[in-house]
Amino acid sequence: MALSTAAWVVMVGSIGVLWVPAMWALFRTLRDEDRKLELLTEQGKIDTYSPGALAELREWIRTHPDDEYAPDARERYDDCVETLRDIDEPFYDWSDAEIEELRTLSE
Amino acid sequence: MASESGAKTVREEWGTRFGFLMAMLGGMVGSGNIWRMPYTTGQNGGGAFLLAYIVLLFVIAVPGLMAESALGSYTKRGVIGAFKKTYGRGWSEGFGLVVVLTTIALASYYMPIVGQVIYYTIHSFLLTFSQSGFESVPFWNAFTASPLLTIGTHTLAVALVAGVLLFGIRRGIERVVKWMIPLLVITLIVVAVRGLTLPGATEGLAFALTPDWEYLVRGQTWIAALGQALFSTGLGWGIALTFGSYLRKNDDIPLGAGIFTAIGNTSIGLLAIFTVFPVVFAFGLEPTAGAELTFISLVSVFPQMAGGSIWAILFFVGFFFAAFSTALVIIEVAVTTVAEETRLDRTQTVLAVCTVIWLLGIPSAYSASFLGTMDFMFGNWGLPLATLLIIGTVGWKVGPERLRVIELNRNADVHIGSWWDPVIKYVVPVVMVFIMAYYLVTNIAASTMQTVGGVVLMAVLLVGAVLVMRTVRRRGRPGVDAGGD
Repeated sequence: MALSTAAWVVMVGSIGVLWVPAMWALFRTLRDEDRKLELLTEQGKIDTYSPGALAELREWIRTHPDDEYAPDARERYDDCVETLRDIDEPFYDWSDAEIEELRTLSE
Repeated sequence: MASESGAKTVREEWGTRFGFLMAMLGGMVGSGNIWRMPYTTGQNGGGAFLLAYIVLLFVIAVPGLMAESALGSYTKRGVIGAFKKTYGRGWSEGFGLVVVLTTIALASYYMPIVGQVIYYTIHSFLLTFSQSGFESVPFWNAFTASPLLTIGTHTLAVALVAGVLLFGIRRGIERVVKWMIPLLVITLIVVAVRGLTLPGATEGLAFALTPDWEYLVRGQTWIAALGQALFSTGLGWGIALTFGSYLRKNDDIPLGAGIFTAIGNTSIGLLAIFTVFPVVFAFGLEPTAGAELTFISLVSVFPQMAGGSIWAILFFVGFFFAAFSTALVIIEVAVTTVAEETRLDRTQTVLAVCTVIWLLGIPSAYSASFLGTMDFMFGNWGLPLATLLIIGTVGWKVGPERLRVIELNRNADVHIGSWWDPVIKYVVPVVMVFIMAYYLVTNIAASTMQTVGGVVLMAVLLVGAVLVMRTVRRRGRPGVDAGGD
């Protein structure tokens, strides 16, 4: 019994939607880990937020200044800004201009 | 975040990212992937079911696993500790106790199944299935009718799990799953290649994959897909929370703990379809036989295949890896929490937790109907309740936006946007309430006593756990953080 065209489409589609993203995610995350370890070995620390994530964090801190999580958020924000100033090579796609514009929350 | 007065814990961490990923995958990929996923797919419209399942996987399971892992990573605590850190000390820690007790109950009736798998794996090596005159039904009946064998293999399974857990997270679980899960995938691929070359094998693929689009508009298809997406990924059982708590400072959550583990688990389910169904249809077996498919049907056909002994060994070794890794991970949820909340060290905790699970598992090992009742009660209401408590806590107490901007997107390999917030706050909790109500309504007429018993048991569990934790905390007996090794 030969497989119908529809069954072939489902089989290939399922492999495409499941196995391909799973393999991509595995290789991507392991590659990123290697990169992080490399940077940590070279620099001792790495930036913890991408430009978009750090902007979101700053906005959240601005709109929730009295939140019980705010002190922790501020600490993490400042830590990332200070790290970006200290290191030569960031993990995320930070440009020199973007790093130059960054200010800690106390500045 | 509530302040904590407990001592600072020196926690273990994963040694490698690969180890964490394999542990997460090991927890999800269980015996259900081997026999349940293929026949559920075939029974519910093939490709139509797969489509529904994949949609629900991406909409519910992936975001949910991210939430659970992020809660563990942020609190750096086991289940009860995470609730304590979120709500503060007191009655709400009972929510964590419910999750732990549910995983202990789940482990108690899962270990006898692991024991069965061990028994069959041993016999595959002894070439029992290839001996002349071997018959699978009497073999199965002889096993299930012998308390010595069922309780003995259950005991062996618990002992093996305890043996690994005694070594801790990095030297125990991580070391084992780093080998087991890749080998599981390899064995499934090898058996699948053999199965697909059998005459009539394509009928199995046709049964499982040919789409019947009418099923897409049937509620039952979506319920089945939802059940598979939730129970297959172990969302809200405390596994992702516990393992997330052992993540290192610079580890990502969204891509590894969410996307890879959920999709990877489903990928192995799809591989199981290619492994099991070609063999089932090539030999004219009943595809909807459930667990019997593995222990009776497949065992009877391996000897009929050229090199059948080898295929039986490969299949059962893979099956053992799937079942054993899940058992390891489920029991670690309880071990981590008990170690943190009591004065016991890890060795004492592993022995105590495994002893409790062994004792609670004896009735399930002795009686298949008792095991079925436990599965009915905890599968239908206990596990969804645990999921509701964990995801509900992220959605309504911690707040998805807070957790996302502070923790989830920190060190993330992929950025998670604000679409995630309503999914965690509304979609997942509503779905969990719906599925519990659905199981209640659909089962109340057919099995009234079991259904009422299950719902009452969960209510007692919830109220009892809350009262216990309130009483314990009022007496001022703070837990001693002693997690890790």
